[in-house]
Amino acid sequence: MTMVERRESGRIRSRRQRRASWDWVLIGSALVLSLIGTLFVASAGGAAAGRKQLLGLLVALLIGYLVSQVEPRSLRAWAPALYLTSLVFVLLAFTPLGIEIAGARAWVALPMGFTLQPSEFAKLALILALASTLAGGREQSGPDNRSVVQALGLAAVPIALIILGNDTGSALVTTGIVAAMMLVAGVSWRWLTGLAAAGAAVVTLAVMAGVLAEYQVQRLLAFLDPTADLTGFGLNTVQSRIAVGSGGLTGQGLFEGTQTQGDFVPVNDSDFIFSVVAEEAGLLGALSVILLVGLVLWRGWRIGLDARDGFNRLVAVGVVAWFGFQAFENIGMTLGITPVTGVTLPFVSYGGSSMIAAWMGIGLLQLVRRASAPQRR
Amino acid sequence: MTTDTPIREKGTADRPAPPASKPFTLARSKRRVQLLVLGFAVILSLFAARLVELQALRAPELATAALQQRIVSQDIPAIRGEITDIKGTPLATSIEVRDITADQTLVEDPTETAAVLAPMLGMSASELEPMLSGDRRFTYVKKATDPQVWRDIQSWRAESDNDSVVLQGIFSERRTVRDYPNGKLASTIVGFTNSEGNGAVGLEAGLNDTLSGTAGTVTYEQSAGGTEIPTSDVQRVDPVSGTDVKLTIDADLQWAAQQAVGNRVRNSGSDFGMVVVLEVGTGRVLAMATAPSFDPLDPSESEPEDWTNKPVTWAMEPGSTSKLMTIAGVLEEGALKPRSQVLVPSGLVRGGKPFKDSSPHGGLNLTLAGVLAESSNIGTILAAEKMGGKKLYRYLKGFGVGEPLGLEYPGTQTGYVPAPKDWSDTSFPTLAFGQGMSMTAMHIANMFATIGNDGVPVQPRLVDSYTSADGVIENTEAVEDERVLSPDTAKTMQRMMQMVVGDGGTAANAKIPGYLMGGKTGTAMRYDETCNCYSGYTASFVGMAPADDPQIVVGAWFDNPRNGYYGGEVAAPVVKRVMTDALALRNVPPTGGKRANFPLKYGG
Repeated sequence: MTMVERRESGRIRSRRQRRASWDWVLIGSALVLSLIGTLFVASAGGAAAGRKQLLGLLVALLIGYLVSQVEPRSLRAWAPALYLTSLVFVLLAFTPLGIEIAGARAWVALPMGFTLQPSEFAKLALILALASTLAGGREQSGPDNRSVVQALGLAAVPIALIILGNDTGSALVTTGIVAAMMLVAGVSWRWLTGLAAAGAAVVTLAVMAGVLAEYQVQRLLAFLDPTADLTGFGLNTVQSRIAVGSGGLTGQGLFEGTQTQGDFVPVNDSDFIFSVVAEEAGLLGALSVILLVGLVLWRGWRIGLDARDGFNRLVAVGVVAWFGFQAFENIGMTLGITPVTGVTLPFVSYGGSSMIAAWMGIGLLQLVRRASAPQRR
Repeated sequence: MTTDTPIREKGTADRPAPPASKPFTLARSKRRVQLLVLGFAVILSLFAARLVELQALRAPELATAALQQRIVSQDIPAIRGEITDIKGTPLATSIEVRDITADQTLVEDPTETAAVLAPMLGMSASELEPMLSGDRRFTYVKKATDPQVWRDIQSWRAESDNDSVVLQGIFSERRTVRDYPNGKLASTIVGFTNSEGNGAVGLEAGLNDTLSGTAGTVTYEQSAGGTEIPTSDVQRVDPVSGTDVKLTIDADLQWAAQQAVGNRVRNSGSDFGMVVVLEVGTGRVLAMATAPSFDPLDPSESEPEDWTNKPVTWAMEPGSTSKLMTIAGVLEEGALKPRSQVLVPSGLVRGGKPFKDSSPHGGLNLTLAGVLAESSNIGTILAAEKMGGKKLYRYLKGFGVGEPLGLEYPGTQTGYVPAPKDWSDTSFPTLAFGQGMSMTAMHIANMFATIGNDGVPVQPRLVDSYTSADGVIENTEAVEDERVLSPDTAKTMQRMMQMVVGDGGTAANAKIPGYLMGGKTGTAMRYDETCNCYSGYTASFVGMAPADDPQIVVGAWFDNPRNGYYGGEVAAPVVKRVMTDALALRNVPPTGGKRANFPLKYGG
């Protein structure tokens, strides 16, 4: 525990201060994104999907609020337990309780027909664990070698499990989160460049040795020349691009997108939700979504900057990196500039787990902000 | 943002001597956060630029690609026109059917889909399931189902839950199939259509453009799953149905003719037989039968040879029946009269070649009527010589030998007669009694009808009227050709022909009680193309009734009969049967006239 936290925890905060500590721009942006998402999920997936998404949002808001009320100290104390619990759930996906969707074993069946995607929560748990580890060393010199190795070990386990479950997209996002947190934590450039080189080598070797299945490689490379494989993954890219393009400036109108309503774009209520927005709401709608994502990232970043100790800053940076990388991967694939990997667009895509995890992220940012609030007076 | 007040904290202000590694402070970490955010900002700007490219700059191109992907244009086949007989009996009709098809890749639940479809299609689920499983984008599940089956499938879909995936991937194609409700009746006239629905044989082919109509199109936007996108426009151009065709054929008479010719082909052992029934003065073909024939619903069961309508596609040497044209010409030219005396020797040499009659005889004293009644080759040659070759040729052409019939039936033959400049020394005598030229049965029957029509040829016709899709009826009209014989000559010929039928004539057993009938038998040498020689006979008889006011001409021909070969014996009874029916069906009353009586011989 740092001196800063000790000092802060001694203060008694008034209700007014508490209220002032809400970041309404952050919450508002995320809420608008969630509502836009619900609307377009209803357009692409039907009214039933829309209602389910709205229910998911209400639950997510509640859980997000509860997270924001947690004391930062206990958060750090719980980090190891949360990390282990999340691993157990990720492992559950490989048991008979697990469900395979689109080739990925990333879901766990819950009672009453609900499903859970543990990797969404594992990312959060990993962010807490990494923040705890990387901020734990001597502050003046950044994490020592031991902390870095420890952090790498913590990250490797869930990433390996996610890769085993064929969820390449989540694995990439998680790797991005780890990299961003290491960067901000002050891991030396020697470590960072070394790890990047090692990562590139491992991927190259994996492809060459045939560890990645042929279809996985194809899928990853489909975006480079989508017309080469019009029956498989290339088709998604082409169809998505056509849908985006046919939206034009102002779009065809909600529930009116012909490519969307005609189901030309695959999984358009979930992974390809952005193509629905682009077709039905046009350039203005799509830019608005990007702007809102940008607002969330900007506010998250400000909270990270204002954080008054390493742990809090790393938590904020982890969450921002998570939102950022996942949104980039998702929007990028819709626009045909990054590989097609099955990740959701935070707040917007269909899926309760994704929605709840995203709002838990907002809760964490809010918690960090609150922890830094007295300094802002 | 770098101007933010640095966070003051312990250690930043009074730091001890720097350790080996460079100190890493939260302030320095801030710079790294900014680095990260700079990266994010760049990426977001990249996305915005890409959006502008796709949605503003390339939008028209991509929207076109999208539209092309969705737009589906489908032909709506036009209903093919009906073919009926003169009383409206359907001979060829079109019925709408649906081919039920499947896109196996879209069938999500083959087992359940098969279970639902089975009772609708009248098939078993175990038979259906393999047809629905797999990755073929197009496959026929059941062809030519009643349109009601597809309506059942659609209403099942409408009533079931919207989210139901059962019956997904099941489609149908609308088309019409040709039906021939009366089977073999007039099959050689009507013909049949091919699998694309176009006429392949017979009038179906000959009148294809008239019957087909114009196909329509429906253009709509289709989803990836193949269903119409509800928010999109549908453009429809309605098809124009084909024109209905009413034939001159009388189905009842056609039926009688087919029965008669079929029976006779069997019991005479002929290669094939033909019957033609013509209405005198109007050119209407009332019946036209060929045996063997075929079933238009399953033509592949028969030889393609049997698909043709031989009375118009088979040209043969007319033989004795053509003597009518020679004798008529001689009478018209005034060269001889029916009672003129013709001394017929036992043999005759012309152009260095001997000519004989069908049965040997000594010298005969025949009248011109006798030459016709006895069908003497020598007598006919001698009579023809009274007018000469050029005039004979003119009469043959006048009666239509070698001229197009003008029928819509495809492959109709014109027959052939050589022009005088191409004649050899034996051509004139040979042509005089009906060899060295060719005529179809229809040409021969129409020659009789010309005599019956008092000397004016009328072009035969098979179509009585056309009724277009908008209900406009167009009746065909009798087309007369240039008169060949004067009414007097024609009447004389009609009387002379009465001598052929009944006692003493070559067609004694063609006589119909109550009616006067005239006619001419033919027992022609049959030219066999396979050996380039004469082999067997063509037995024929053509009759017309009532002989003193001809209304109907009936001709019958039998190719290569093994059981008897004289026209009067093989063909005349068939003509009698069909003529009896024709007179009754066309309500022709008996004239009550008396049979003409010319002396056939002269002297002692």
